[in-house]
Amino acid sequence: MIVFTSALTFFFVNLAPGGPSSIMNMSATAEQRDALIRAMGLDRPVAVRYVDWLGGALRGDLGTSLTTDLPIATLLGDRLPNTLLLSGTALALALLVGIPIGIVQALRRGTWLDRILDLISTLGLAVPVFWLGIVLILIFAVNLHVLPSSGVSSVSDDSFGDRLAHLVLPAFALATTILPTVVRFMRTSLIEVLGTEYLRTAEAKGLREATVIVRHALPNALMPVVSAIGALIPRLLGGTVVTEAVFSWPGMGRLALDAANGRDYPLVTGIALVVATIAVVTSIVVDVVYTRLDPRVALS
Amino acid sequence: MFVASLLRTRRVAALALTAVMLGTACAGGASPTATSSAQTGGTPVAGGTVTIPIVADPTLNPWSPNAFVESVFPNRVLFASVTKPGKDLAPAPDLAESWSAATDGLSWTFKLRAGMKWSDGQPLNADDIAFTFNDVVLKKELAANGAGNFAAVKSVTAVDPTTVRFDLLRPFAALPSYLAYNAGILPKHVLSADPLKTTSFNKGVPVSSGPYKVEKYTAGQSVSMVRNDSYFGPKPYLDKVVFSVVPDPNTQIAQALSGDIGIMLLDDKASVDRVKSASNLTVQSRPLVQYYWLALNQTDSRFTDVRVRQAFVYAINRKAIIDSVERGYGSIANSAISPALKAYYDPSLASKYGYDPEKAKSLLKDAGWTAGADGILTKDGKPFKFTMDVGQKGPLEPVNALIQQDLKKVGVQADLNTMEWNSYIQKVVVQRNYTATVNWWVYPSDPDVFPYYHSSAAGKGFNIPGYQDPKLDDILVRGQAATDVEKRKAVYKELQSYMAENEPYLFLWYPEEVDVFSTSLKGVPELGLRDAMHYIGEWWLAKK
Repeated sequence: MIVFTSALTFFFVNLAPGGPSSIMNMSATAEQRDALIRAMGLDRPVAVRYVDWLGGALRGDLGTSLTTDLPIATLLGDRLPNTLLLSGTALALALLVGIPIGIVQALRRGTWLDRILDLISTLGLAVPVFWLGIVLILIFAVNLHVLPSSGVSSVSDDSFGDRLAHLVLPAFALATTILPTVVRFMRTSLIEVLGTEYLRTAEAKGLREATVIVRHALPNALMPVVSAIGALIPRLLGGTVVTEAVFSWPGMGRLALDAANGRDYPLVTGIALVVATIAVVTSIVVDVVYTRLDPRVALS
Repeated sequence: MFVASLLRTRRVAALALTAVMLGTACAGGASPTATSSAQTGGTPVAGGTVTIPIVADPTLNPWSPNAFVESVFPNRVLFASVTKPGKDLAPAPDLAESWSAATDGLSWTFKLRAGMKWSDGQPLNADDIAFTFNDVVLKKELAANGAGNFAAVKSVTAVDPTTVRFDLLRPFAALPSYLAYNAGILPKHVLSADPLKTTSFNKGVPVSSGPYKVEKYTAGQSVSMVRNDSYFGPKPYLDKVVFSVVPDPNTQIAQALSGDIGIMLLDDKASVDRVKSASNLTVQSRPLVQYYWLALNQTDSRFTDVRVRQAFVYAINRKAIIDSVERGYGSIANSAISPALKAYYDPSLASKYGYDPEKAKSLLKDAGWTAGADGILTKDGKPFKFTMDVGQKGPLEPVNALIQQDLKKVGVQADLNTMEWNSYIQKVVVQRNYTATVNWWVYPSDPDVFPYYHSSAAGKGFNIPGYQDPKLDDILVRGQAATDVEKRKAVYKELQSYMAENEPYLFLWYPEEVDVFSTSLKGVPELGLRDAMHYIGEWWLAKK
């Protein structure tokens, strides 16, 4: 799977028109372009370069970035933790907020509260994250001066509180990309569970409504939400591209965008490799969690 | 995929920004339009930090092929050069105190200041300059950034520690000006092993020579600088200069509004009114050594007729482009010499071509183009249709759309082929596989535009249209040979009127830069911000 991803990425990005920024530079002469093509080894066929790259990658060497001259492992090591922090916080936020809202909507379905929350989540799906990001910056950083507008920390202050303050706006903006989906999954699945016979039996036995919901309905209703998380992770990582640009967040999304614009072939491939690995690992984790929640499913 | 969607989102984001700004952020209220004295008045005081946004992690080495636009600001602060742009843009002393050309024009000798030191305390002298040129710039296999500007240099000799001589292949009167343009000198004692790829230098804490030195390079976030106590010039006022990596232009504007940014270039001129109304900010425009052009490929026989080129100039409403796309920040261009080069610019040419579609039609008629059935001109049975390649950058997309409409009015059909920037450069600039295209040149502060016009640069060099004209070549060569300023002025006046008449490129407009300052930032000279970086030691912050 991972080898397949890297090969696909490597060939596709090499087939894209253009070349590394230093070559596709208005102020480079033809002579300079030739020298750079030779220096970067781009005069060799793509297949040869891929085999070369794969050989290095299997030994743990992902190569050197064409646009920064830095080792790709260093670049990824710098950026990956920031993206994991941002998307992890956004995911936690989306679940912490989304699940209760979904529950409330399911229990009060058809009421004005349900409709208002539904409207909000529809709007949430429609609002693009770059727009929301700028609005958040204008409100909280420009007008109210309560939160910083960009980066992971201040130049002069690198305390935990400072880092936390920097995380709030981008994590919130990113969380909105998946929040409506979490809410809807929760609402739909709880409504479905509430309609099943065993719950009606439980109610008929005279158990209190709260007990019925917490002990019997929720564990079952959460199952589809957990499996949805696996599908939401790629969307979350996609959202980091825009979120990180708006909030100057030094993560993988921004790195990916710069690498693609600059035709940094080995860097694009390295990033694709990491993202593919994350997607594979999270789907495995989700499956494991799923088996814990649902005794009917077993890993075999 | 990423790129296209981001470019789309950029435009929508700009709209959103304007909309939101109208609704919020009005607490500051309107302030009177600032005057230029706001940046210079008062007695300087030491202290404070100025933050300047850049769009990506810089490469702290002016000659690295990976040092792009984001690296220009910090590199101009860090690395002193032989000369620097004067406040009149003529070359001024930096490492060198004085210079002179040999009588045959084939060498220049620069006399350096004595006793200069690098930020690590090591001596800085003629050896470093000879190293930077002989071992970096002139080494073809290194493909140093901007090396093409020094194609006339044969070799550089350190005559003694404070004297350095540039030997030339042909006369090159512009050398002192070119040495002031992104030509920072590198430390030989640090970089002799690997001058362009030492990442502890380029992406870390380099040994440098300017008024500030790097304190900390935080990848993806910022480069902070403190005073360089070994600097040969006067002690700078600011305690700290921070280059903060903010890729999104809308976020940059938001940060300027919130007071987080000391000075910035406003790329998106659509936001200028909003910024002007903020009480904590001052907005100023500066002329640039830059011009936009429309290149008509000279391998296409339709465009070798000067009447057709002139007709296009009459047909394109350049004033309308400046007013709409540039919000009025710019002036009509009829040659390559920008008004920023005050000593050379000929203002009498500004009114040479008005917007005159009728004149355009009659010139096209003279050139043999007659009205066809569908309103498109034809000649020898072929309609006047071609494709303009459009790169997605800066104002190019709306500009092309306006030009397309203007040409249609005189019976010429231009189809637009819009491309992502990197692909555009490959097709248009590298492969020269294009018919017509709009782009711009930024060049050193000197009227010597030889590389962009000489026939030797046609097809592969910077002569994008591939225009070849012995008369133009002759003027360019005479300009390079004239070391005396008055003689140069005469030659370059001739060059401008020849260009205006023949339109080797179709000259569109000279853009102005819009700079946004914190009102407390003083002492910034009235230069484009990139050039003002050479004077960062004079900047200071008024106490609030």
